Amino acid sequence: MSCPHTEQELTAYLDGELELTSALTFERHLEECTDCARALAAQRALREAIGAAGLRYRPTPAQTRRLRRAATAEPAAPGWPSWRGLQAIAAIAGLLLVAVASWSLGRVWPPRSAPDLAEQVVSSHVRSLLAGHPADVASTDQHTVKPWFTGKLDYSPTVVDLAEKGFPLAGGRLDYLGNHPVAALIYRADRHVINLFTWPAAYTPDGSGPEPAASTRQGFHILHWTQGGMTWWAVSDASEDRLRELARRLGAAN
Amino acid sequence: MASYAIITETEPPACAAMLSKIRDRLFRQDSRRARFEQAVLPHLDAAWDLARWLTRNDQDAEDVVQTASLRALQFFDGFQGGNARAWLLTIVRNAFYSWLQQRHRGHEIADPFDEEIHSRAESGLADPEAELLRQADSRLLRQGFESLPLPYREVMVLRELEGLSYKEIAAIAGIPIGTVMSRLARARRHLQDFLIAHGVKEGRR
Repeated sequence: MSCPHTEQELTAYLDGELELTSALTFERHLEECTDCARALAAQRALREAIGAAGLRYRPTPAQTRRLRRAATAEPAAPGWPSWRGLQAIAAIAGLLLVAVASWSLGRVWPPRSAPDLAEQVVSSHVRSLLAGHPADVASTDQHTVKPWFTGKLDYSPTVVDLAEKGFPLAGGRLDYLGNHPVAALIYRADRHVINLFTWPAAYTPDGSGPEPAASTRQGFHILHWTQGGMTWWAVSDASEDRLRELARRLGAAN
Repeated sequence: MASYAIITETEPPACAAMLSKIRDRLFRQDSRRARFEQAVLPHLDAAWDLARWLTRNDQDAEDVVQTASLRALQFFDGFQGGNARAWLLTIVRNAFYSWLQQRHRGHEIADPFDEEIHSRAESGLADPEAELLRQADSRLLRQGFESLPLPYREVMVLRELEGLSYKEIAAIAGIPIGTVMSRLARARRHLQDFLIAHGVKEGRR
């Protein structure tokens, strides 16, 4: 490129990683410099192609099982336990008994403070991933998912399939957040799972507006906004850009 | 009689102290384990994706992720909370590089770009080429990713497939943000050139 703006600047602009002032300067520059505009168009096209190609590797169910076992198993003790080993086992059995007894106490005391909503949302997302089947009703058809909620909730969640926009619907689930039963919709984006929660804003008034607010917890991106009397929470390990795009598409569909 | 009196006097406090110690210990183990699983299990897919792209085959990816899981458990006490995904991916990446050093003594790290392809850059892209790129065949795109040398491949996977920010990538790869930026720029340029050199769609040219 024969202009003062570098390819790196262009790449950072594409990724939304330029600071605001630099981004504005660069945008002004784009209007004048056809080379940069063309290079940006090519990079955007490349990114779209990457997004559509589904390049992310996913472990097979068997691989997932083995990986989970490796991540959760204590290092195995080799060999048959000796007499001392048996003594130790007896001692452990005794301790377990005590543990179970005190566990029941530990459940109720000390009382834990209630986690905030963002935390509940992330926990719910994590639970749904750990269970391996995020959806109670697994369907890509909005006309199957939406009626499924009838009778389970005292409101009717908006369910739209956005497969053509790169966010195929994968199903729905009943969840319990902010002391209410709520709808969780599961979308996919480039093989990432997105949990989208929606409920009447009156359940949990927090003064949020239609402009999605982003935050990050435990490495998950969270987007939260309120629109049309409904409150929305989207959580995923997909990029914040993708979540914002989903929010935009939902806004356009409603 | 005397001994009975002694036992009843001394045992309760000693016993209670011991029990509470045991209880504390078990709970600490228990909650540590639960916190570990809560932090790590949701990110096994991301760990797999990175390891699979770095090692380029299933078997080695599995070894790397398993090693990383064990290390993660071992070092979990040092994890301050916060971004569990970036933390786990850092460990996966480190596990991969130790594995690579053992196996290949770092040959691949020095892989240069295919300059033949790369040298045809700077020709300027016509608008129809952007259109062509958009329709790039996914198999060819995968080959393009695989043809990226390691330092470029890892930042592209973390950015494009895992959606991490420059800051997170910099922390994971242990490089400055400016380097993340320049590697991404170069990797994307390489991919574009690769796709165009191979006719974008398989079977063309």
